[in-house]
Amino acid sequence: MSILSAIIFLPILTAIFLFFVHLHINLVKIVYMISTLAVAYLAVKLYINFDASSSMQFIEHHAWISQYGINYDVGVDGVSLGIVMMNAILMPLVAIALYKQRDKRGYWINLLFVQGGIMGAVLALDLMLFYLFWELMLLPIFFMIGLFGYGKSNFISMKFNMYTIFGSLMMLLSILYMAVEHKEQFGFYSFALDELKNITLTTTESLLVFSGFMIAFGIKIPIFPFHTWLSDTYRSAPMGIVIVMSALMAKLGTYAIWRFLFALLSETSQELAPYFIWLGLFGLIYFGISAISQTHLKRMFALSSASHLSLIVVGFFIYNSYGLIGSSFFIVAHALSSAAIFLMVAMMYERVQTYTIDSLGGIAKVAPLFALFFSFFALSIVGVPLTAGFVAEVLIILGAFEYDTIIGFFAATSLLIPMLFMFKTISKVLYGETNERTQNFQDLRVHELVAIIPLALLILAMGIFPNYFIKKIEPTAKAFVDKKEAVYYE
Amino acid sequence: MRDNLLLTILLLSPLSSAALIFLINIFQKRDCFVVPPHNDEMGHCEQFVVPLRNDEVDHCEQSEAIQSVGTPRAFPRYRSRHMWKQPIYTFLALTGSGISAVLALYVGYYSYFEKEVFSSHLFTWLSIGNFTIEVALRADALSSFMLLFVAPVSFLIHIYATGYMDKDKSYGRFFAYFNIFVFFMLLLVLADNPIIMFIGWEGVGLVSYALIGFYFKDIQNTYAGNKAFIVNRVGDFGFLSALMLLFLSIPSGGFSFSNIFLSLIQIEPFSLSLIAFLLFVGAMGKSAQIPLFVWLPDAMAGPTPVSALIHAATMVTAGVYMVARFAPLYNMTPNIALLIAYVGALSALFAALIATKQYDIKKILAYSTMSQLGFMFMALGVGAYSSALFHMFTHAFFKALLFMAAGAIIVAFHHKQDIRELRGIKFPKVFKMMAIASLTIVAIPPFSAFFSKDAIMGALYASGHVEIFAIAFVTSLLTAFYMSRMMFVLFFSKSEQSADESPKSMVYPMLLLTIFSIFAGFFNIPEVFGGAMNFSHWLNLADKSFIIPHAKELVLMSINTLFIALVMYNTYKKYAYTNEIIMEENYGIVTKKFYIDEIYNKIIVASLHKLSHFFEKKISNFLIDEKINLTALAYLKFGKIISIAENGNVRFYALYMLIGVMSGFVYLYWFLRSAV
Amino acid sequence: MLKAYMILSILLFSIGIVGLISRRNIIVIYMSIELLLNAVNLSLIAISADLADSSAQVMSLIIIAIAASEAALFMSLFVVLFRNRASLDANLFDMLGNSNER
Repeated sequence: MSILSAIIFLPILTAIFLFFVHLHINLVKIVYMISTLAVAYLAVKLYINFDASSSMQFIEHHAWISQYGINYDVGVDGVSLGIVMMNAILMPLVAIALYKQRDKRGYWINLLFVQGGIMGAVLALDLMLFYLFWELMLLPIFFMIGLFGYGKSNFISMKFNMYTIFGSLMMLLSILYMAVEHKEQFGFYSFALDELKNITLTTTESLLVFSGFMIAFGIKIPIFPFHTWLSDTYRSAPMGIVIVMSALMAKLGTYAIWRFLFALLSETSQELAPYFIWLGLFGLIYFGISAISQTHLKRMFALSSASHLSLIVVGFFIYNSYGLIGSSFFIVAHALSSAAIFLMVAMMYERVQTYTIDSLGGIAKVAPLFALFFSFFALSIVGVPLTAGFVAEVLIILGAFEYDTIIGFFAATSLLIPMLFMFKTISKVLYGETNERTQNFQDLRVHELVAIIPLALLILAMGIFPNYFIKKIEPTAKAFVDKKEAVYYE
Repeated sequence: MRDNLLLTILLLSPLSSAALIFLINIFQKRDCFVVPPHNDEMGHCEQFVVPLRNDEVDHCEQSEAIQSVGTPRAFPRYRSRHMWKQPIYTFLALTGSGISAVLALYVGYYSYFEKEVFSSHLFTWLSIGNFTIEVALRADALSSFMLLFVAPVSFLIHIYATGYMDKDKSYGRFFAYFNIFVFFMLLLVLADNPIIMFIGWEGVGLVSYALIGFYFKDIQNTYAGNKAFIVNRVGDFGFLSALMLLFLSIPSGGFSFSNIFLSLIQIEPFSLSLIAFLLFVGAMGKSAQIPLFVWLPDAMAGPTPVSALIHAATMVTAGVYMVARFAPLYNMTPNIALLIAYVGALSALFAALIATKQYDIKKILAYSTMSQLGFMFMALGVGAYSSALFHMFTHAFFKALLFMAAGAIIVAFHHKQDIRELRGIKFPKVFKMMAIASLTIVAIPPFSAFFSKDAIMGALYASGHVEIFAIAFVTSLLTAFYMSRMMFVLFFSKSEQSADESPKSMVYPMLLLTIFSIFAGFFNIPEVFGGAMNFSHWLNLADKSFIIPHAKELVLMSINTLFIALVMYNTYKKYAYTNEIIMEENYGIVTKKFYIDEIYNKIIVASLHKLSHFFEKKISNFLIDEKINLTALAYLKFGKIISIAENGNVRFYALYMLIGVMSGFVYLYWFLRSAV
Repeated sequence: MLKAYMILSILLFSIGIVGLISRRNIIVIYMSIELLLNAVNLSLIAISADLADSSAQVMSLIIIAIAASEAALFMSLFVVLFRNRASLDANLFDMLGNSNER
């Protein structure tokens, strides 16, 4: 069993084991930690062995349902490596930070399922396999929100799943359509990414197939009109899953756009790129401005990450190496920052039992460490220099300016808009007078520091020495851009 | 190798001392933690909360009270068990900034006398295809010139602050921020390419945000910090966009300043103008020029050393430095340069006008800073770069001195800042120094600002833009008016208040600065007085040459000085030993600062909030979410209607079965018939 | 001759169906079900006699035997149902539908 399969199936098998074998809750947490740490170890090993001079690596191929062309194909390249690393690093840290808060077996089992699903979806090179893992990572969220959520959790869980399953169905239709087309054109079914690239589609067909995929990814990210599940879901979901959703799953949507749409339908994507760039820019501004008037912390951060995800979408669609590298860097950077900030929010909720921004204040006085880290992570979301977000934003903005000056200016508003809500939030939460809720606010404890400090250090390292990290992405971007230009000149 | 080591130590010594202070400071306040009456449903761990005895809890509250007012000197000093840490903080802070000050002087010396250029390459920050950005430091003449006053003035203000912040609860935090500020400022000055400069640029803004909101217990201070950072970020938006455009229009070969200037010719004029304009937007934000000046007066919420260092001497001059740095670019875009001159002139006049009606001692100085920055921009705009920089040099000394004196007064007189309440104070040492600083700022010979301001006026006159010259002239008269108004009201009044003298740590730095503000002018004596313009030759910027006959220049100078003296005399008659200041009507458009804040609030802030509500309530919720929920609801209703048939009564199911079978038969019958 | 048997069988079947659908007493419904069964049995026997093939008659005998045991089962079910609701009105037993939610 090679390293990629181990990364995918270790969490899933552990989850199944924990599901059938009833262990004491503390033992469950220990098994969870062992499993996620093992995955983290494998991921680090993968990162070290990753050859920074070529693109797709560690390819694995096993026949599966071969008569219909469905095979087990996985592989990793520079862009997916980032998400794999994030997933592997965040999962144990989440557990360290939250282990006191949750004593339900299902919580941890579901998190393991999600981890496996995300790993599979990121690494899959076969569309059917990708679809399978895509669904596998959605289902645990259904249970998590329904079982451990706050508020109208049943309704919200249903709504979220309706949305996403609707999207997934559209994607499934597109995948099946392409497979059938492949059969008609080449005489056999295939779901492999490399083979499906070769089929030719008419304009209408490719538009339909494109929109099928795009609905699925657009809902997951979310892109502008598909965002209404977002704030309710984030508000209601338990924190572990909020972190997974904002830090990893939403990024997976943008990643999938790049990995599948741009590869399968490169011409259509290039034709439609301007529309999606504008949609992304609109989303960037729209979500940012919507976030200003939010009073609920989780909703505020939900909209904030939606705003930044729109920027990532823009970065992918502007189709040059700056945009691509910027976006993939931003995926990692934002995953770190948003996971950290949601962890901080969870710790805060544990202490004050509220998410309402207006009912907080003065935390900096009673809990300076907490305030330090909270403002650090909030600022890293804003993209202050020396944090990873700044590098990513500069690259995306540079790419946008290279694409078009006007679009560049709009992309550069990402310097301004997150400031507006983030600074208001920081000052209302951390500063001012303490009130009866916050006057006994307890500063960070050691296990929380253990979870947070690695994230902070990583953010700083990526902001100060970005070149070391970007080297791993560069060949992928180069291969991609070269290919795109080849298509363009045909 | 030597350069590398030198510049790295110069840059990193404040940063490392800041880091050390932070590390020590972080573990200080934990003891001040009040143990919560525990609600332990979730099983918190408690091993890190040291339960405190009652008297210690009291101590924390008392030191809070001290902190809330600003500085502790007005209150009896409580002994804190963390006070032993204060000498450590002091030592770290002073060594951090001291080392960089000494090295800066060393660099300045070698740059001035030996014409040496220090450069060092640390590591590659980013490299994607052509986009290569090196973290490289370079101290050429301009950077060394900046170092020459930035680092020593920072050091002096550090010393001053050890006195000002004495026994403050957040002593460590303050110096950590202060040292980080020095680090970012040095990074800004030493950066060899605009992106690294931008990092320093943003960094100083960030620290300024943290320091303005230093006493965060009053949330208004925090809001002032927010305002400062957001307005600055508007400028940064322009700056970064300009950098991106610049980068894209430059052929490959690195992004260092020298490379940029070499390839400027290849850029088409329109985008060159756009870049120049956007860069200036950045400068507007940082240097508080119209229309992005609104943050500077509010920034006075921070402790006074902050105002002295960040909002007077160093950070706000970064915009001037940046425009001077891009001098070759502005020489190629005369229209934008002219715009800079006009904006500078307007800001100078505007700020001076507002300052004449202010009563808060720090606000007066803040507006005067803005006004002096306007002078510098006027000079930059007409192409007299070295004059602008020279004025910046002298300004750093006298304005820092003015703020420090104001801080000493504020501390000694129980945190009163209103000059009407402070009327007729008796504070001899500070008075002498403040008087010298005021005479300097109104450009009385032979104090330093006389030479620097005169150089600017001469350049403005020679450039042929009479209107700008006229504005500058009026502004300098207004400067004389508001400064002497402040001085006369403070020190020349009947009611005599007195207070303890300031501690030595505050007086000695002020003394040094006084000496500087008297003599700094002699570094760049104009040719009229037989000087050699040493600084201008050293800086060697792309100055436009202004030839103006010596006789004319002397006449100008004397007229200017005469008028200033007249204004001061009239002010003396009006304000000294009278009750004029109390009776002054404090309403009207000038007192209300031309309603700029209100207009900005109405137009920008309020409409953003409205837009936010509109987006959230009308579009997201009503237009989209409502419709999607309605679709779901429609399915639900339809299902309800159909489910009437499914009433659970088996007999009905039998009936449906029968109907189904019957219709099947009927269909079969017709089918078979037609088939046969 | 077969025709008459078939008509009788159809008549019995129809009566059974009408009874099944329209009556509310569970015992009557059961009787109607038996009627349906016997109508089918009758037609089976008639056709078998017509075709001179006795295997169908064997089958119908088995059906009658099973129907007898079925009757016993049904009777015990009635007792249980009656114990639950103190009535044998078929309308009371509608837990299959969504009436619980209302």
